[in-house]
Amino acid sequence: MIGYHFGRGRARLTPYLLLIPGIFLYILIALGPSLATTVFSFTDATGIRGAPMHWIGFDNYREFLFLGQASRDNYAALWRTLVFCFFVTTIQFGLGLLVAMLVNQRLKGTNFFRTLYFMPVILGAVIQGLIWSLFLYPLGGPMARLLEFFGARSEFFGGQPTEAFAWVIVVQIWANLGTTMIIFLAGLQTIPEELYEAAQIDGASSWQVFKNVTWPLLTPSVNTNLLLNIIGSLQAWQLFLVLIGYRNGTQVLGYLVYAQGFGQTSGSVTSAFRQGYAAAASIVLFLLVLVLGTVTQTILNRREKRIMG
Amino acid sequence: MNATLDTRRPIKWGRIASYALLLLFAVIYAGPLLMLVNTAFKTLPEFMKSATSPVTSLNFENFIEAWNKANFPRYLTNSLIYTITATLVFVVTAIFVAFPISRGYVKGANFILTMFVIALFLPPALIPQFQLMLALGLYNNPLGYILLFTINPIGMVILVNYIKTIPKELDEAAALDGCGYFRFVTSILFPLIRPAVATVAVLHAIGIWNELILPTIYLTNKDYYPITRGMIVFQGVYGSNWPTLAAAVLIMTIPMLVIFLLLQRYIISGLTQGAVKG
Repeated sequence: MIGYHFGRGRARLTPYLLLIPGIFLYILIALGPSLATTVFSFTDATGIRGAPMHWIGFDNYREFLFLGQASRDNYAALWRTLVFCFFVTTIQFGLGLLVAMLVNQRLKGTNFFRTLYFMPVILGAVIQGLIWSLFLYPLGGPMARLLEFFGARSEFFGGQPTEAFAWVIVVQIWANLGTTMIIFLAGLQTIPEELYEAAQIDGASSWQVFKNVTWPLLTPSVNTNLLLNIIGSLQAWQLFLVLIGYRNGTQVLGYLVYAQGFGQTSGSVTSAFRQGYAAAASIVLFLLVLVLGTVTQTILNRREKRIMG
Repeated sequence: MNATLDTRRPIKWGRIASYALLLLFAVIYAGPLLMLVNTAFKTLPEFMKSATSPVTSLNFENFIEAWNKANFPRYLTNSLIYTITATLVFVVTAIFVAFPISRGYVKGANFILTMFVIALFLPPALIPQFQLMLALGLYNNPLGYILLFTINPIGMVILVNYIKTIPKELDEAAALDGCGYFRFVTSILFPLIRPAVATVAVLHAIGIWNELILPTIYLTNKDYYPITRGMIVFQGVYGSNWPTLAAAVLIMTIPMLVIFLLLQRYIISGLTQGAVKG
């Protein structure tokens, strides 16, 4: 034990005693329940207090993955989760980098733009969703009129499932682009100015500067943003709840877990509190996040070694 | 240096393109907000006639109606109570965990820190958490709801890292002067780590304020609803009356915007630190 100066004997116990509440809360609310999810996934637990609970082995997983129409719907939700993840990650990553580079220039007003782009992040899913429900008002709302101008039309969140789903992707990116931008910006600001000046003296074009200076030196932010975007978008579903509700053809895995576990009251689809089944579904989602996260991490680490070493 | 170089060039195409893009994004970001403000001041017939026409006269009736009908005073009070109580409990308990483990003053400090970090890589706690709350009789109970928000692993990691930058000699000197452990943490350490505490507290509080899923799961009594849940209920009732709904959303948005503008620095530093460590 390295030099503890605040007394001995009983006084030495003080840090331990004061540490207990924080650890206790953490184990009670987060760590314990998190570890127990696997256990619950093997039971038929419900949401009713005092109802009996039985050990049913792999039945929940079997049902989730192989049983009839429900399992086909589950695969559809899984596939949709991946599609959502792919579009959100790639677009948010690309636009985030573009916007970060734009506001990182020595231009007047960049602070204003930075603040504006970041703002939705703190508004939360309810405000983000409601603001966009209005902006995408189908009967002559701003977006409807813009589309009309180009000879297009959309029912937005009331349209075909794929169409509604695509608009949720738009709102998701709008809402979270600020975080990606801020992380890229932090990375851009660590790149020494001299490197750009040297490149300018050598007569490098903007593209060459980006390719040989900015992009490689931005590696840490690239890694952080990619991982955060992938993991975040695989688990995101709050905007679905606010914008369309639980509607067939639009559900992602996270929403499915919630609907199975806590019943679904909005719309006509109603399901029981099947918490054991929901726990199994959440383990499937967790494994998906784990696998994709690990693969991405491995690829990024290799790339980093190649660039840095 | 750069500025002088730049002014010599006759036309700055790069700069013009940059501004064009910045403005395009500005429209995408400000547009939905402006639509909200515009709608909130309209009457329903005006909105039905043309959703996008600019307001001609300021009509505050929507705000009065939303404030009265949406049960805002109640929901806002609830949100405030949940946010402040849970953030306080979290910050106080977290400091007393973060300090001894970043100093190695307790056995197994590294193990404890790892325990907090792995939380980010474990399955979601949602279902067992609910079973726990049911078993404890804390379902549909404000106390139980607050309990759910008294922890934050990322916040803990930020605190630990910040405390490591405070010189250890300070502990020794204070102890030699007869300062006890509790008094050291509360009156000497705390003022020194205030920036990190502010960052962590602000991020944590915003998370609680914006939470929608947990109140939907845990609170069934309308009297306990926070503003987010109340807003969704209000949308269910007033879904087609956009002017009133927009006024309600605006009432909910303005305090967040003010807080954001005031505390932007803490929010941004918290996000970048959290991201780098995570």
